[in-house]
Formats: sequence, structure tokens, C-alpha cells
Amino acid sequence: MQRPRLRAMTSDLRNRLLILLVLPLLALALVGVWLDYRSADEAAARHDQRLLRLLPALADSVLAPPIRDSEPPLLLLAPPVEDFLRQHPGYAAYSVRDTSGRLLLGDAWVQPAVPTTQAPEFHSLEYGGVTYRVAVQRGRTGAGELVVALADGSDPRQQWAQQLLLRVLLPNLVLVGAAGLAIHWAVRRAFKPLVDLADAVERRSPRDLSPIDEAASPAEVRPLVHSLNRLFALVNAQAEGQRRFVADAAHQLRTPLAGLQAQVEAWAMMARASVPAPLPLNFDKKHPPALDGQVPGAIVLGVEQIEKLRHATRRTSQLAHQLLALSRADARSLDAQPSQRVDLKDLCEALLESFLDAATGKGLDLGLDVQSAHVAGHDWLLRELLSNLVDNAIKYTPAGGVVTIRCGVRHAMGLHRVFLQVEDDGPGVPEAERGRVMQRFYRVPGSVGEGTGLGLAIADEIARVHHATLTLGAGAQGRGLVVTVVFPP
Amino acid sequence: MRLLLVEDDVMVASGIKLGLTDAGYAVDWVGSGERAEEVLRTESFDAAIIDIGLPAMDGLELTRRLRRPGMASPAMPVLILTARDALHDRVQGLDWGADDYMVKPFELPELLARLRALLRRSQAATTAVLSFGPLALDTAGRRASIRTDDAEQVIDLGPREWTVLEYLLIHAPKPASKDKLLQALTGWDKEITPNAVEVYVSRLRGKLEPHGVALRSIRGFGYRLELHAQ
Repeated sequence: MQRPRLRAMTSDLRNRLLILLVLPLLALALVGVWLDYRSADEAAARHDQRLLRLLPALADSVLAPPIRDSEPPLLLLAPPVEDFLRQHPGYAAYSVRDTSGRLLLGDAWVQPAVPTTQAPEFHSLEYGGVTYRVAVQRGRTGAGELVVALADGSDPRQQWAQQLLLRVLLPNLVLVGAAGLAIHWAVRRAFKPLVDLADAVERRSPRDLSPIDEAASPAEVRPLVHSLNRLFALVNAQAEGQRRFVADAAHQLRTPLAGLQAQVEAWAMMARASVPAPLPLNFDKKHPPALDGQVPGAIVLGVEQIEKLRHATRRTSQLAHQLLALSRADARSLDAQPSQRVDLKDLCEALLESFLDAATGKGLDLGLDVQSAHVAGHDWLLRELLSNLVDNAIKYTPAGGVVTIRCGVRHAMGLHRVFLQVEDDGPGVPEAERGRVMQRFYRVPGSVGEGTGLGLAIADEIARVHHATLTLGAGAQGRGLVVTVVFPP
Repeated sequence: MRLLLVEDDVMVASGIKLGLTDAGYAVDWVGSGERAEEVLRTESFDAAIIDIGLPAMDGLELTRRLRRPGMASPAMPVLILTARDALHDRVQGLDWGADDYMVKPFELPELLARLRALLRRSQAATTAVLSFGPLALDTAGRRASIRTDDAEQVIDLGPREWTVLEYLLIHAPKPASKDKLLQALTGWDKEITPNAVEVYVSRLRGKLEPHGVALRSIRGFGYRLELHAQ
């Protein structure tokens, strides 16, 4: 579930990096364009200057008025003008007109408006797909007042505009694209250690708070691993503190509960023995209530009330016991204790003995189906596990039911798997509820009986400590509940 | 039956005392190991119930001391009570001379059942008579009898039937496994089959069930002696 989030994070970061990098790149490109334009502008200004210098030379080139009216005036191109025209063949042209605009010499298309003053003017002219810079001046020549014009198609400003796309924008776009790809690749590369670390953390079970190997982590994420380990240690310490608190609290509760239970049990026994005589109750600790009931301030409790009281006391005692068992079944507190070889057959027989009376009292047939089997584990924990399973089976199976404790070795796929199983033919657990009944204090809605909702949670926890798997299933003919604990080979 | 209860918690002690008194036992209650040692030196009890978590001298130490010569009868059963449920304490308690243990908080009927079993075994050790309800097995005289009202009826048992019944009686009210019964029988027969146990059990049933003593089969395990209300 975390992976996609991390992916989203990296792509988010990638986008941000892209934006952060591409925007300055674009700005740089614009500055480049501007600078380029500026330099083109300067070059253009130099061109203009040159055209301006050439205009008088052109004017001077008109030496004399035409001999005949129909002929053009005599023209002898000055060397600078000749050079100019030769330098840019096809891109340079000139024209000489009279003040009325009639073409006397040069190209007809070089036809700017006739200036009204003597000052030189600049125009742009489109001809043959080329934009020309045209300088025009009205001035005195050898043939009287004429209008001379020079057209230059090599105008840098015009060329700049044409080449803008190719020369300026394209490299920048390529640069931006390349930067994008580079960022994509780099972010992936840069985040790989982080993604790997996230994977490693992801694969952990929520109970595994052991430190991540710092030395084996990539250098880039080592500080993060260090911080994570520190956090794990803190959480561990806190969980440990909490576990110890629950254990202490449960432990401390047991002595007063033992007192309470001993009292109530005694009253219950006396009450049953002396039915229907009511039982006196007083609160003076030092002198237990006497049977004669002559104590001042005594109240009278009926047998039924005492039974209820006893019932509640037993439940409370069981809860305290289970809380203690649960806190002790914690993997972390067990590391110190060595595991021993546990005879499961003995365990099943011992459990049968201790639950026989309860089962008989409820009219259940409690039986065994055991073969010799051993596991390495903690004897008292496995006893607690099985005891919770049997206790549940007895509690939830109605009178006349059958409860069977099994153990043995299964042969599956060439592996010997030791198992422990409790089957009953009670109401069972619906498939949808099976995942949830393992949760602490969860009880199947509508279930009868006096469970605390901790039994299966404890069993599951203990199975986990033994690296075994606890599964719930339906019994034979789909009835009842089968709880199976399979131990690792 | 006189019992010694060593327990420092007033609530627990008064509850147990109340229950035991109600069940017909005479109970002497002391609150410390030192006081218990003193009392045990001068007086005798049929059984002792000792809490492990005593203030100065703990219950384990007391159990160890009372097993010394001149303190109490070696046959006196000791049942220890503990709020600690670590295996270590239980094993140590049993190693140091306790006969059984119970973890607090406990249910009084269970305490009574365990106490009865302990007392029956210790009595058998001293008087050589194992009894269960109306059934009595005089192991010295090898005589089995059933009390009915005021009369006593002798039951004729074969040697293998005797072995099975003796084993069941020693363990009552706990069930006895078929394997263990088979082991007990191999003293008589080297090549005995598991079926033999069933044969002797069914013969015993024929002799005992008319008198209200049942041998209940425990599926997959063995048998248990039970009393049937008549």
C-alpha cells in the first residue's frame, strides 16, 4: 500500500524538479533570444550605416544627365557600390529615379516612396520571397536632383527573424527536452535507494521492530536508516513499557482477585449446601461470616445472586490471567528464555484432564485423537495456547456436543509438519468473521457464552511466537469450528 | 481432618478457610512461614496449604524446611498456592517437597478436589486403604469392598482387575490413560494387547456399576472412576 504512495511522491518530485529546472531554462532561452536579437540589431545597424555611406557614393555614380531624353543618365558605379552589389549577388539591388518616381536606372522593384526631404530613409520591401532593407535618399547628382535607393537582402534582422526557430528556439527546446529526460532518469536513480529502503520497511511485519542493517544500506539513505532505527528503538521501548505495565497490572490484580474469588467461591459452596437458607454477608475481613448469620449489619444474598457474583469473579480472574498470558507471549520478552522440547501428546492429555470436569458438567463429550509429536517451544505458552482453544470450544459448544483435541504429524509435500488441533461441533465461526476473531476483545456478534474475546488472540500470538500458523476452518460436514496450529518443519 | 493454611492475604485466607470449614475440614490459619514452622513443630496436620508469596520466609523455603526430620510427617501432603505461574516456580515447589500446586486465582471446588486426591493418596500410604465413594481397596489385605447403607459387601476381583482398579483409584478423580493401564498390566503379562485393558475394564464395570461406581470411557484417552447418584 505504501509503494504507490512513494511512486506518487517521486513523480511529484520529478514534476517539481522539472518545473523548477525548465522554467529557468526557458528564461535563459528567452534571454538568449533577446541577446541574439540585440546582436542582430547591432549588425543591422552596421548594415544601415553601410547603406547610408553607400547612398552618396551611388548618387555620385550618376555622372551626367542623359544625352537623349529616352536614355538613362550616365552611370559609372563607384567602386564601393560595385563591391556592395558584387558581394551579395541576388540579394543586393539599386535604383535611380527622378523626383517623380520614374525609373531611370537599376531594378524596377526597388521602388520606395519618394522622400520629401534630403534626409535618408529606410524601408522594408518584399521581393521574391526575400525581405529587403531599402535605403533611399533624395539628393543632387551629376544629373540633377534624383532619388537613389539601395536594397540589401542580407539584412541580419530579417535573417534573424527567419532563423529564430532554427537557431534559437530549437536548441533551447532540445535542451529542455533533454533536461526533462535527464531529470526523469536522475530522480529514478536518486530515489532507488529510498525506494529500496521503503520496500524493505514495507516487507516487515508490524511486530518486527528490529533495526535495519545500517552498514548494508546505501550511503545516501544511511542517515534515514539511522533515524528509522532510532525510532524503532523508541517504539520498541514504549511497547515494552506498555507490555510490562499490562503484565504488572494483571499480576497485581491477581492477588486481590484471588481473595475475592476465594470468598465468593466459599459463599457459593455454603449457599448451595444450605439451600434454601439465605446466606449472611458482612465486610469484616478479620472474622469471616459465620454460618449462623447473627452478625449485626448483615445483609442477605440469595443463592442465585451469589452464583452471579461468582460467575463475574471467575470471568474477571480469567481476564486478568489472559492479559498476563498475552503480555508474556510477546516475542520480545521470550528471547531470553530457551525453548525446550515439548511433548504435544502429554500436553493434550494434561489439557483433557484439566477440562474434563468442565466438559462433563456441560454435557460435552471431550476426547482425544493424539499421536506422538514433539515441537521445540515454550511449554507453558503452548499449554496456554491449547488451553484457550479448548476453553473456547467448551464455552461455545452447546450441550451434547463433541470436542476433540488432536495432535500428530502430517506429511505434506515431503515435509513433516507437526500440528495441534481442536475441533468442536458448535456454531462455528462464519468465514467472514474468521479474520476478525483473532483480534483482541473481538467477539462474534450474537455469540453466546462468557468469553472475554482474548482466547483466540492469545492462541494466535503464541502460535506466532513459535513461528507456527493458526487457521480457523469448519469442522466435518461443514459444522462447528476447527482450529489448527501447524508448526514449522 | 486437620489442615494447616499458611497464607498472608486475609481475603484469600478467610475465603479458603470458609470453604474448607464448610467442606468439613478443621482449618488452622497462620499468616507467616515462621509461625507455621513453630506450629508444625508441636502439632500435627493431615495436610498443609502453603502460599509461595509469604512476607519473610517464602512458601518454597517453608516447604523445604517442613520436609526435614522432626518437623511434620513425611506423608503429610503439601499443596502450594502461587500467584506466579512461571514454570520454574512450579517445578521448584514440586522438587522441594510439595505434592501439588495451584495458581491464584483458583476455583474453590478445584482446590477441594485436589486436596481430596492428596489426602486419599497419603491415607493410602499410611492405612493401606484406597477409597473412592463407597468403594474401598485394602491394599495390604488385598480386599475390595463396597459400603451399601450400613452393610459392607466384598467384591471378588481377579489379579488383573485388581491392578486396573488400583491404578484408577490412585488417580481418581483424574482419568487414567489406556497406555498407563497397559503398562501397569505388563507386570502380569508380558505380551498383553491393548484389548486386554478393555476386557478388564468391562469386567470391572459389571462388578462395580450396580453399586454406583462407574468407569467412564474418555474418548481417545482412557478411563475415569466416577460416582453415579443412585
